[in-house]
Amino acid sequence: MKVCHRLLAAGTAFALAAAIAPATAQEINVPVIVPVTGILSIEGKAQRNGALLAIRQASGINVKHEVIDTGSSPAGATNAIEKALSEGDVTAIAASIFGPEMLAMMPIALEAKVPLLTISGTAKITELGNPYVFRFFPGDTITKVAHADYVANVLGKKKPAIIYQTTAYGQSGREHLVANLEKLGVAPVMEEALSFSVKDMLPVLSKAKNAGADVLVVHLHSGPTALLIKQAAAMGLNLPIVAGSAMHQPTTAALLEPGELAGVCAESGSSPVSGGDAGMEAFLAAYAKAFDSAPDAFSLGAYDGVNMALQAVNDGARTAEEVRAALSNMTYKGLAMTYKSDGKGNMAHSAVVMCYDGKTRIPEIVKRYENVSGVL
Amino acid sequence: MLFLQLLINGVALGSAYALVALGFVLILNATSAVNFAQGDLVMVGGFVAIAAAALLPVPGIVLLPVVMIVMAVFGLVFSMLAYFPLKSRPPVSVFISTIALGIVFQNGANAIFGPEPQVAPPLLTGGYLQYGELIISRQSLSIIIVAALLIAAQHLLFAKTQFGRRLRATAQNRRMAQAVGIPVNWMIAATFGMAASLAGAAGLLLANQFFVSPTEGTDLIIKAYIAVTIGGWGSILGAVVGAMLIAMFEVIFSAFISYPVATAILYGTLLAILFFRPQGLFGETIQKRA
Repeated sequence: MKVCHRLLAAGTAFALAAAIAPATAQEINVPVIVPVTGILSIEGKAQRNGALLAIRQASGINVKHEVIDTGSSPAGATNAIEKALSEGDVTAIAASIFGPEMLAMMPIALEAKVPLLTISGTAKITELGNPYVFRFFPGDTITKVAHADYVANVLGKKKPAIIYQTTAYGQSGREHLVANLEKLGVAPVMEEALSFSVKDMLPVLSKAKNAGADVLVVHLHSGPTALLIKQAAAMGLNLPIVAGSAMHQPTTAALLEPGELAGVCAESGSSPVSGGDAGMEAFLAAYAKAFDSAPDAFSLGAYDGVNMALQAVNDGARTAEEVRAALSNMTYKGLAMTYKSDGKGNMAHSAVVMCYDGKTRIPEIVKRYENVSGVL
Repeated sequence: MLFLQLLINGVALGSAYALVALGFVLILNATSAVNFAQGDLVMVGGFVAIAAAALLPVPGIVLLPVVMIVMAVFGLVFSMLAYFPLKSRPPVSVFISTIALGIVFQNGANAIFGPEPQVAPPLLTGGYLQYGELIISRQSLSIIIVAALLIAAQHLLFAKTQFGRRLRATAQNRRMAQAVGIPVNWMIAATFGMAASLAGAAGLLLANQFFVSPTEGTDLIIKAYIAVTIGGWGSILGAVVGAMLIAMFEVIFSAFISYPVATAILYGTLLAILFFRPQGLFGETIQKRA
């Protein structure tokens, strides 16, 4: 009897110990495949940093990760994803912001059945019927609704000059801008495409002035945006400028004097540096500590996207396919916005417009556009 | 008034391009090889200016000789890596080695300074001069003056000094120059140093008004190549004229048509010159030498 009691006591103690012992953390693999070098390296590094911060803050999950540089080329992206997939089970991939690279990786991800978490704005990536693409940054179908509305309805401008980049980013933005402005009864008085290499903006600014434009609607990359704003201020153009998401990046504002930013506004998915709530302030502080720089909307979008995937894992998804299914159906309240798939992989449906007061390089959010459906 | 404004902007931009093209021609004449890293040397010069400004917060005109000296040394090292080990090989070997080193410079700049565009200090001060409707940036004026002085100094060096005569002799006929006792290898190394020095000056001049980023060089070398082809392969005067022509297309023509059309017309002009006058506007020094 005493032996039975001892055995019973030992067994009970063992069961209790097993119950209260810390559970072994699940291990998953989330490679970060982004352009760290090449023409998209600014955006790629922002995306990398946001993804890495989310991975480092993960609790209850061991996230194996490797950062692989795509070099801002589709061939580089293809090599990168094949390398990542060859090294073991992959749960999800934080995938490039660069549209052409995404288009190159998508068929491989489809074959491997691995979800891609991207912030690329190129509209086409969610129009090809690939169920493994999840975009955590509002595409042009969302942001250009906000862009056009702010120009036409908030500023009340009726004679915009549209200046856009010759790249796929610029052309897509221009197409959606023109369409949305037309829906609002506004026709551009001038349109001009600029290649990345254009240095002197005087020709295009002169044309805008001579066409009688009452606002400059700009959709350029970071450097050209700063050049245009700088030279517009120099020639005393005195026209409001409403720029694309490249303007929201702190690295773009850093190229300009605060006075040159007076009258400049921009659209974006979010504006982390504008602060807001306790969660955003904590993110700003953690990002600055980790990377000694300020985050932008691209890094925040990547951060929210990876966190949503990690939430899916915490909720029970164990394989890449289960993560894909979870991302397709769940709603996630991130720092920038609430994310939910529209059935095509577009997760972000909100945008903001921010404006600079001409005294600092920190913009203020002046209008939020929530749950934009892509039509006005 | 707009035309005058555009002309001044075009001359400023063309002056900076002329320094790039000049360095390209110097190496071409001395070695018969194309230095495809000349644009990346301009980029390096821009970042050297930014780094120097962080240590010495002074106007760019004070930094200019520092940048040019540093870049001259950089050019000497560049010649030891890109040219001298391959000088007995076909010229295409040097062409490939300069491409490779250019990529190394780009990635090095990315790793050290980051990928973001950055701005260097102005030559004197920023700001603008206004005469009625005419607005001229002080930086544009400074670029025109400094570039003109550098080009004139380079011309005087070549035309009026013994050192310059030796450089010209080396460029015209290396074997004969060696036969008369000119240290040809030192002359070639000095040419690389001068070309890099001019590239550094161009980098500093461009980096304030137009910013600098690690990928800046790719576009500049294409412009230098076109300038030299239009002006005459191997012609120093041709390189300067070609560079000005490119800037005029970029600034003046595009103000009245559009950038894409102006660019198309520029390339059309290039093709026409290649077809009707393949030696370029000012002949081809290398052909004359042959």
